[in-house]
Amino acid sequence: MNFDLSEMQKILLNSAKGFLGKEGKNLAREMEKTDDGYSPELWQKMAELGWMGAVFPENYGGIDGSFLDLVLLLEEMGKALVPGPFISSMVSGLSILRYGDDSQKDKYLPRLIEGNSILSHAFSAPDPEMDESIVEETGSGKDGNYLLSGTRLFVPFAHVADLIIHAADTDKGKTLFLLDAKNPGINCIPFDSIAADKPCEVSLKEVKVHEGNILGKIGKGEEIVGKMQEWGALCHSAFITGMLEQVLRMSVDYAKEREQFGRKIGSFQAIQHQCANMSTGVDQVKFLTYEAAWKLSEGIPARKEISMAKAWASDASRRVCLLGVKIHGGTGVSEEHDMQLYFRKAKANEVAFGDGDLHREIVACELGL
Amino acid sequence: MDFRFSPEEEKFNQEVRDFFIAEEQTVKEARKEWDSGLGYGPACWEILKKIGARGWLCPTWPKEYGGLETSYMNRYIVMEQMHYFLNIYSTVGAGMAGPVILHHGDEEQKTRFLLPIARGEVEFALGYTEPQAGSDLAALSIKAEDKGDHFVIDGAKLFNTRVHYAQYHWLGARTAVTEPKHKGISLFIVDLKTPGITISPIWTVGGMRTNEVFYDNVKVPKNALVGEKNRGFYYILEALDYERISSVSALERGFQEVLEYVKKTGKNKDPLIRQKLAGLAIEIETARLFALRVAWMLNRDKVPNYEAAMLKMLVSETEQNFVNTTMQIFGPYGVIQKGSKWTQLSGEYERIYRDSLENLITRGTSEIMRNLIAQRGLGLPRR
Ligand SMILES: Cc1cc2nc3c(=O)[nH]c(=O)nc-3n(C[C@H](O)[C@H](O)[C@H](O)COP(=O)(O)OP(=O)(O)OC[C@H]3O[C@@H](n4cnc5c(N)ncnc54)[C@H](O)[C@@H]3O)c2cc1C
Repeated sequence: MNFDLSEMQKILLNSAKGFLGKEGKNLAREMEKTDDGYSPELWQKMAELGWMGAVFPENYGGIDGSFLDLVLLLEEMGKALVPGPFISSMVSGLSILRYGDDSQKDKYLPRLIEGNSILSHAFSAPDPEMDESIVEETGSGKDGNYLLSGTRLFVPFAHVADLIIHAADTDKGKTLFLLDAKNPGINCIPFDSIAADKPCEVSLKEVKVHEGNILGKIGKGEEIVGKMQEWGALCHSAFITGMLEQVLRMSVDYAKEREQFGRKIGSFQAIQHQCANMSTGVDQVKFLTYEAAWKLSEGIPARKEISMAKAWASDASRRVCLLGVKIHGGTGVSEEHDMQLYFRKAKANEVAFGDGDLHREIVACELGL
Repeated sequence: MDFRFSPEEEKFNQEVRDFFIAEEQTVKEARKEWDSGLGYGPACWEILKKIGARGWLCPTWPKEYGGLETSYMNRYIVMEQMHYFLNIYSTVGAGMAGPVILHHGDEEQKTRFLLPIARGEVEFALGYTEPQAGSDLAALSIKAEDKGDHFVIDGAKLFNTRVHYAQYHWLGARTAVTEPKHKGISLFIVDLKTPGITISPIWTVGGMRTNEVFYDNVKVPKNALVGEKNRGFYYILEALDYERISSVSALERGFQEVLEYVKKTGKNKDPLIRQKLAGLAIEIETARLFALRVAWMLNRDKVPNYEAAMLKMLVSETEQNFVNTTMQIFGPYGVIQKGSKWTQLSGEYERIYRDSLENLITRGTSEIMRNLIAQRGLGLPRR
C-alpha cells in the first residue's frame, strides 16, 4: 500500500506546478476569446517539457511514463484550466500506439510527441431525429479504397486538428479511419459552447481513404472506441480532480478572508460544513482516479474502476462547483471572478466521455448486474 | 502509488482469513451474540481469546505486552477480517484504551492491563458521555475527588455501552473546576466490580443495549489515574482519533449479499436499481480508499486527524445509503420483521436498518466530523 508519489512523479509534478503557475495565469480566460481556443505557443512548450510524450515509449520520442504520470499532469492542468486538445490528442495517440501498425505509429507518434500534430476523434453521429441536413452515411470499400460520407458531432478541436480518427460503419462493421483533417472533403464547424472548448461538427463528403489508413482491423472499431472511451473518461476524471482541488482552495481562501456580521464567513458552520463536503468529495474523486490510473499503469484491467472514477467525478464536479459558487456569493457568479470559469468548464468535463448515469450503468454491468 | 497489499501482507491476510474460516462454528455463534445487541457472550470471548493468542488483537505492540511488533498494515488486515466475519473490528481495549495506556500509562499499568488486552481476556467500556456532555465532552461533570491516597468518584454517566460485560470502565471525570472546562478532566481506569457502581440498561431502537452508570461515592485507588491529573481530555481526544479508524469490510459483505439477492430475484433488470447499486458500489469504494489511506498513514507513523474524521463520517453515511437502498429494493417486504415467510434475506435488514443509526451518533456525530474536517483539515477559523 502506498499513497505517495514516486520521486520521479514528485519532480514531474513540481515542474508542472512551476510551469503552470507562470504560464497558466489567465490562460483559460484569454483563450476563450480566440478562434483556436488554445495557445499554440504553450502547446509547444508543453511538448518541450515532454508532456505530450508522457505515456509514449522512448523510441517515438516519449519518456515512457505511466498512465499515473499522465493523470498527475492532467490534475495540474485541471487546476489551471489549461484549454486545448491535450486529452483528445493523448487518447487518439494511445489508440495508434496500441492498435496501429508500424508505419502508422512511425508516421503519427513522433510528430504528436514533438508537439507538431494535433489529434482528435470523431465518434458520435447526429441523432437522426434532430437534423435533416445530415449527410447520408456511406462507407463502402472498393479496390482497397473507401469512400466516406457522414457527419460527426462534438469532435474536440477538429478545427485545428491534423488527424482525425473517424468511426464509420462499413459493410464489415464499425471501422476506424485515420483521416488527414485537412482533406478538402472534410468540413469543420466549431461550436460556441458553455466551456469554450471547441466541440466541432465534422462533415465528410465522399472522402476517399485507402485501407492502409484503417486503425486496427476492419470491423473491429467498437473495441478500439471502447478503449478510447476508457482512457478519455479517466483523463477527464483527472482533469476534474485538479479543477475541484482548485475550487476548494479558492473557496476556503475566500471564506478565510471575507467578513460579514463582523466575522469571517469561514467561521460560520454552514460554510464550514459545505467546505467539509467539498473536501470529502475532492478526496473521493482523487483516490478513485488514482486507483484506476494505477491499475492501468500496472496493466490490470480497470474498466470498472475507471467508470467508478468518472461517475463520481462527473457528479462531484457539479456538486463541488455549485458549493464553490455559493460560498463566493455574488462574486461567484460575476464574470470577472474565476469561479464561473470552473463552473462552466465543469459541465463540459462532466459530459465528456459519458456522464455519471452512463458510467454507473457500466459499473452495474461490471458488477454482474 | 500502490493500492495493493504487499506479498507478505497478502499472505498474512490469507492466514487470518483461513483462521476465521476454520473457526466457522465459533464465528457464527459469536456473530449471533454480537448482533443480538447484548454484547460479548461466551462465543465472543472464545473467539477473541483465540485471536489474541495469536497476537493479532494488538500486533503492533511490543512483544512483552502481547504484541508481535509488526506493522500497522497487519493490524488493519486483522481489523478487516474481524469486521467481515464478526462485525466487530476491534475491542475497545485493543483499539482505544490500550494505545493510550501504552503511550501515557505507567509501568505498573502497562503490565497489569496490556497483556490481558492483547490476549483478548478483558474488555473496557468507554465512560465519556453524560446527560449534559455529549458532543461537548468537556462539559462532563462526574466528580473525582483526590483524597490523598485514593480518589472518590461521584456522579453519573449515560450511554456507556459494554459496562454490563466489560471488566473496566475507561472513565473521564472532573478533578478540577477550570476555565476552559477541558483542563480539569482526568482519565481513570475503574474496575467495574468496585462497590458503589450500579448500572441500568438503556435499549436502542436497534435492540442494542447501552447503559446508565451511577457512581455513589466510589472509592478507587490512586493508580486508577492514567497519565497526569487534569490532562485526561487530551488522552481522550487521542483515544477518539483511534476510535475513528475503521474498515468497510462488513459493509462490503452486506453489499455483496444484496447484489446476489438482486441477481437471483431478477431485479437486476430494473434500471433504477442498477443505478442505485452502482452508485453505492462507488461510494463504498471511496470509503474503502479512505480507510486504506488512514491505515497507510499509521503504517508510516503519520498521525491521521481530519482523515480519520472523513473516514468515520463517510462510512456511517454510506451505511445509511446502503440500508436505505436495500429497503427500497425490498419494497414493502422490507419492513416485515424476522419470522414471517414474507421476509427478504430473513428480515435481517429490518433490524440493520434500525441498528445502523448508532454509527451516525457514536464516536462523534457527522456534524462534529465536519467541524473537524473544516477546522483541522482546512484551517477554517473557529470564530
Ligand atoms: C448506541 C449508543 C452507544 C453509545 N456508546 C457510548 C459509550 O460506550 N461511551 C460513551 O461515552 N458514549 C457513548 N455514546 C454516546 C455518544 O458518544 C453521544 O451520543 C454522541 O457523542 C452525541 O452526543 P449527544 O447524544 O449528547 O448529542 P448532542 O451532543 O446533544 O448532539 C445533538 C445534535 O447536535 C449536534 N451538535 C452538537 N454539537 C454541535 C456542534 N458543535 N456543531 C454542530 N452540531 C452540533 C449533533 O451533531 C447532533 O446532531 C453512545 C451513544 C449511543 C446512541
